[in-house]
Amino acid sequence: MAGPTQPRPANQHMRRNPPIAGEQEAIDRAREGDGRAFETLYAMHKRRVYSLCLRMLGNVAEAEDLTQEAFLQLYRKIGTFRGDSAFSTWLHRLAVNVVLMHLRRKGLPQVSLEETLEPSQDDGPRKDIGARDLTLSGSIDRVTLERAIENLPPGYRLVFVLHDVEGYEHNEIAEMLDCSIGNSKSQLHKARMKLRDLLRTGQRKEQIA
Amino acid sequence: MIVMRASDKTMTCAEFQDALPELFESQTDLSGHDHLKSCENCAALVRDLEYIASQARLLLPIQDPSPAVWDNIQQAIRREKPEPPVSAVRK
Repeated sequence: MAGPTQPRPANQHMRRNPPIAGEQEAIDRAREGDGRAFETLYAMHKRRVYSLCLRMLGNVAEAEDLTQEAFLQLYRKIGTFRGDSAFSTWLHRLAVNVVLMHLRRKGLPQVSLEETLEPSQDDGPRKDIGARDLTLSGSIDRVTLERAIENLPPGYRLVFVLHDVEGYEHNEIAEMLDCSIGNSKSQLHKARMKLRDLLRTGQRKEQIA
Repeated sequence: MIVMRASDKTMTCAEFQDALPELFESQTDLSGHDHLKSCENCAALVRDLEYIASQARLLLPIQDPSPAVWDNIQQAIRREKPEPPVSAVRK
């Protein structure tokens, strides 16, 4: 598998990947084969890498397997880190590649991506939107949103997590998923529409209960 | 960049919603869009989609993997590392 490309610095990435105290020293020592330093890097980044895997996959067991795989890749490739971008940006791109590789092996993402290109009755934007009191603003908590993301179809979930949660640009996503930029934009829009649908349905159920 | 067309004032909901992905990407303030001034449904839709995107940006990683993940990583690394020569171990 090819190593992660060095992504262009983006504000979103910088905001989400601030420098971590002691990280550079740990990187330098880990590159020389220091196991303790590698453990330090794991402790610094495990949560973020695992969350990324979990959100992309929606499955705890797979997310743990791929977190493991991502850090093993890191162990093998840390010597190739050139420092052109923040280490965390580089590592997260590596983790994204690991997840995408896994999904390709399963044959999942491309199929889902194409399938979801066809708007279904459910996802269609033109249905009657309904009463004003069903707007979402100010009413979603983190847990509810996480659950709704988990319930997105895999193709939608990938693009939504990569763009809206992780802050990748459409050109980067298009390259990762081997699709057009227009396709990435279209998938993102449909993902947000589907999320709105899921969240509104949840609210209606709460109101009935 | 999205250029506001003269026909924006008479856009149907379907036309406006077809244009939405690009309108969002243009990062212009949609609240001033002519169609939204006269269509509460599409205005609510835009507010919701903007809200979902803004909430997603606030999602932080909060869950840790189980300790077994690090144990497995360590085991895999040990398997990958070349064993030291037997003579060196005996010394």
